[in-house]
Amino acid sequence: MSSIIIIAITAIVVLYLGLYKVKSALLPVSVLGLLGAAASLVCVWDKNISYFNDMLVFNNYAIAFSILLIATTILIFLLSGNYFEKISSNVAEYYTILLFALSGGVVMVSFQNMSMLFIGIEILSVSMYIMAGIKKTDSASNEAALKYFLMGSFATGILLFGIALIYGATGSFNLVQIAGKASEQPLLFYAGVIFMLIAMTFKVGVAPFHFWTPDVYQGAPTLVSSFMSTVVKTAGFAAFLRLFGSAFTSVPAIWTVTLVVMVVLTLLIGNITAAFQQNVKRMLAYSSISHAGYMLIAILLLGQASPNAILIYSVAYSIASVASFGVMVAVKEQKGSDDLSAFNGLGRTNPVLAFVMTVALCSLGGIPLTAGFFGKFYIFGVAIAANYTWLIAIAVLMAAVGIYYYFKVIIAMYLRESENSESIQLSLAYKFVLIFCIMITILLGIAPALITNIL
Amino acid sequence: MTITQSLFYFLAFVAIFSSLLVVTAKNPIHSVLYLILTFFTLTGEYILLNAQFIGIVNIIVYAGAIMVLFLFVIMLLNLNVESEPQKTNLMKFIGIITGGIGLVVLTAALKSTDPSNTVVIQEVDMGLVKNLGQVLFKEFLLPFEIVSILFLSAMVGAVLLARKETK
Amino acid sequence: MTEQLAWLIPVLPLIGFLINGLGYKKNPKGLVGLVGCATVLGSFILSILVFFDIKANGAKTIDLYEWISVGTLKIPFSFLIDQLTSIMLLIITGVGFLIHVYSTGYMHDDEGYGKYFAYLNLFVFFMLLLVLGSNYVIMFIGWEGVGLCSYLLIGFWFKKTEYANAAKKAFVMNRIGDLGFLIGIFMLFSTFGSISYADIFPQAQTASTAVLTTITLLLFVGAMGKSAQLPLYTWLPDAMAGPTPVSALIHAATMVTAGIYMIARSNILYVLSPISMAVVAGIGLATAIFAAVIALTQNDIKKVLAYSTVSQLGYMFLGLGVGAFTGAFFHVMTHAFFKALLFLGAGSVIHAMGGEQDMRQMGGLKKHLPITWFTMLMGTLAIAGIPPFSGFFSKDEILAHAFEVSPTIWAIGVGGALLTAFYMFRMFFLTFNGKFRGTEEQHHHLHESPASMTIPLIVLAVLSVFGGFVGVPEALHGSHLLNEYLSPVFGQSTQILNAAHHGHLSHETEYALMGASVLGVLISIFYAYTVYVRKEVVPAAETAPRSGLEKASYNKFYIDEIYNAVFTRPLDSLSQLFYRILDKSIIDGVVNGFGQLTQWSADKFRRIQTGYIGNYLFMMVVGIILILVFNFLF
Repeated sequence: MSSIIIIAITAIVVLYLGLYKVKSALLPVSVLGLLGAAASLVCVWDKNISYFNDMLVFNNYAIAFSILLIATTILIFLLSGNYFEKISSNVAEYYTILLFALSGGVVMVSFQNMSMLFIGIEILSVSMYIMAGIKKTDSASNEAALKYFLMGSFATGILLFGIALIYGATGSFNLVQIAGKASEQPLLFYAGVIFMLIAMTFKVGVAPFHFWTPDVYQGAPTLVSSFMSTVVKTAGFAAFLRLFGSAFTSVPAIWTVTLVVMVVLTLLIGNITAAFQQNVKRMLAYSSISHAGYMLIAILLLGQASPNAILIYSVAYSIASVASFGVMVAVKEQKGSDDLSAFNGLGRTNPVLAFVMTVALCSLGGIPLTAGFFGKFYIFGVAIAANYTWLIAIAVLMAAVGIYYYFKVIIAMYLRESENSESIQLSLAYKFVLIFCIMITILLGIAPALITNIL
Repeated sequence: MTITQSLFYFLAFVAIFSSLLVVTAKNPIHSVLYLILTFFTLTGEYILLNAQFIGIVNIIVYAGAIMVLFLFVIMLLNLNVESEPQKTNLMKFIGIITGGIGLVVLTAALKSTDPSNTVVIQEVDMGLVKNLGQVLFKEFLLPFEIVSILFLSAMVGAVLLARKETK
Repeated sequence: MTEQLAWLIPVLPLIGFLINGLGYKKNPKGLVGLVGCATVLGSFILSILVFFDIKANGAKTIDLYEWISVGTLKIPFSFLIDQLTSIMLLIITGVGFLIHVYSTGYMHDDEGYGKYFAYLNLFVFFMLLLVLGSNYVIMFIGWEGVGLCSYLLIGFWFKKTEYANAAKKAFVMNRIGDLGFLIGIFMLFSTFGSISYADIFPQAQTASTAVLTTITLLLFVGAMGKSAQLPLYTWLPDAMAGPTPVSALIHAATMVTAGIYMIARSNILYVLSPISMAVVAGIGLATAIFAAVIALTQNDIKKVLAYSTVSQLGYMFLGLGVGAFTGAFFHVMTHAFFKALLFLGAGSVIHAMGGEQDMRQMGGLKKHLPITWFTMLMGTLAIAGIPPFSGFFSKDEILAHAFEVSPTIWAIGVGGALLTAFYMFRMFFLTFNGKFRGTEEQHHHLHESPASMTIPLIVLAVLSVFGGFVGVPEALHGSHLLNEYLSPVFGQSTQILNAAHHGHLSHETEYALMGASVLGVLISIFYAYTVYVRKEVVPAAETAPRSGLEKASYNKFYIDEIYNAVFTRPLDSLSQLFYRILDKSIIDGVVNGFGQLTQWSADKFRRIQTGYIGNYLFMMVVGIILILVFNFLF
């Protein structure tokens, strides 16, 4: 709870700093505020505190995911450097909105009451609608914002409908009370669950509700896309699992078949379409759809291991995504394009960037000795425990396709010639973030036990 | 049939009829006007349910503020019948089919649901402003407060997106 | 001793990789070479110590730390060092060290010197991990890692597009194999509840034959990819695009034998599934002959060696398939010696010729490169199977076992051996005998390679000559040291096999078999001698007309073309299909058609108005309705 307050206050302070044109203080203040928020979370570890009639419950699950969200945000902020300044002079507002979005994310991972879930999702989504459109002169960015907004509102409507039906069936918004009454009210409740399922799958970008993802990710400014594909997605999955794992466990038969179909569809569409992209940003957008497919497996087969599996996957995926998006921003700034050809010869001109990108992509692809391998491994572990061998076979096959398109970038970097051989200059913070991400990725690849037994 | 019941059926009929007209009207202005009519009928339904607060808010916010905004936008963009792109007949057909199926499925799903204890309103005065306020400031205090973040974010965003870039 | 120091064996090359990789721009060349070689030498010395320790005290498991635990699945990060592993360690670090030394000379003028050694050290690290792991997951990690390094090293000279394509091909083919391997691992886990060797092998006999057959065939798919067997072999010849020492280390001596190591490691599973054994033997035999036939007409010196490697790997799989586990492994060892030697020799020739690889431009190099000539001769004799060179003993052991299973297999195998002798001596004579056929400039440039390159050649030549004596068969009054040493690993399997069928061959039969094959090989060599030395036949140029079979062989049986038509294009079309139908047609709808997405920069506003978002929403509604229908009406 105190972390939400700290984040919100930081956001307002940053807004005022912008008013008084103290640009150099924006980043340090934001990062300090976030570190404070993370520290306040660490302090309540294992305490399991609930706030305001069980509106929010900060159990270890909530704390772990909150810290992950905050850490990812800090990394993205550090990458931002003067990225936002190039878009416009309203830098403070961007930080503010991202911080607000983050507070929404923290609400989403710690809610115990569906009204809080709704508000959390809305705070996060509305902020992201705005951020997608901050490049006002770029029509792609405008289009992304509009699309995201219209489709997001649509999903919000569905979500509300679902909440209303469940409230109608159980007379409560509280997850624990809902779980207690779930078995009594089959049909109305059933409809509510299905609507919530649809809304949540939309928010995390699962097929057949994924249509917005590629367009929005590509249209939005790259750093905002990285925020969407990490913080927003992680928060979405954490909320998804929290909702389904605690409120609807007593009626698991309802959604199994629907979700299985969705998982398969998502894996197929995400991976196969990604394999065809020539634009790296769009490729990463499609690949983020496919990652949603893997994570959905853990929700499909709810069990003891699910929270851990989602956490590990989120950590691996977030960190690798931040690194790969970071490299992409740097490349785009120099070459003016994020097509595959812009990466040609990067291994020669910028060995550090190329190495970072290689490790990040290996992790996204699930190559052993990177964190991503264990992300997939634990997800598959959940599926093994539930005897879904055929699903694993599909998932593994699709993972192979994934490696194929990730390696297209690696090939371009190491095995193709670039036209110009200027190397890209990076700021210290930028280098720090990239190297940090890579070190965490490799560290978790070698010693996954560091986070596997947290939850 | 009591007066309340007959009023309910009347309002429900007008609501459905006018919302159909919203969709089928060729002129955007007409669509908006029918939408306002729909909102009014819904307000009537709320009042029948003794939910005064929602009824009034519905009039003020939706029929008042938002609809006026709609009309402004339509007039400013100069939308009219000719410039509006029309869906092809195929799309309309598919749309009708899907919508119809959706209707059938939801009706089928909800028809058999018996009005259980939780569905039927226990306390008749629940929708009054006083009671609503008590729930909002006691049990739902936190959501009520946290919504301010949402509004602040939306406000900052609106200003940000609407402001002219000074470069 | 082993417990305390064994972990250093893989870690040393890793340190080398870190030093060379992090500072590859700044480190002076001398330091790079020193670090690269010294770390591998260190591992080699440790491997020797480990070897004697294992010999005296038996196999050991070294637990490093608890690595993964998810539900019932517990995977310790631990090493299993037994007889099989210790020999692999010696081969990898020993041959690896020689090739590192050779590389300091061969790559000396290359601008990517530091990067090259970093990759090479990384490769050694992963390869060691592969053989040291005590469970399939660690093996898989090494397996992926060596694939990655091989990929990076094939494309090392990335300036040429074809090289980059070769790297890509290698990668994709290996992925197909890895997929089988991975699914096999998952099946192992779901069958036995563990993926550690120590847990699986003792309870192997409890599983049903059908399950075991599925698992072993899946694992074999992995082996086919990595060890370049039919039909996944075409990447290996293309992989010759990499630097020659890389071909020697990765694509001849070590990585490609990972598949054999894997099957040898899982021998008990294979023995319990006769179908899998037959498949392994059949594929191995087919590959051995097929690749040998292709090698007959190749004119690129490295391509000949590449196809010969594929063919020899086929023999090893044949050995595994007929139950000659020791024999197959023996062949891995001798092959590592003589094929590394041949590749390094070829590298020396190419070095002298200024990068020329076409044998039609060579000839008469004997007097210019005496050391290379002599060592290559040793290697060629070894691979041809002339006693007492090493290749004779190992190949003979495989063939003898094949004869026990079926004389037909033996006959085909010997046929392949004759082909081997012919194409190897064809290569040898074309390169070293006759008159020089290259340009004047090349002739002027000819020189013997520096000592850093010739010394490894000499060492490998010695090993190729005498390496076979560790496995002299009983029939020749030798004691089969290797067999004895490896018996704890293969003992159980051998018992099962012996119980199932065939008794031992009599010594007389063995003599006859050896005699027949040696005689055939000699005739084959003599024929090559007549054609290429006496008559001085030089293969025709690319465009010359060729007769039917010759043409097919020259064009590698059109396998690449067939693959293009049968797999690549349908895959492309499938990918296109998904792309078009799922991504474009449905989304953009009938109204927009596709193509607009690629021209997204043009006229975006109009596209929004034509109902683009509307179509998205429409699709979502359809999805929602489908879900509702599905959930409520059925």
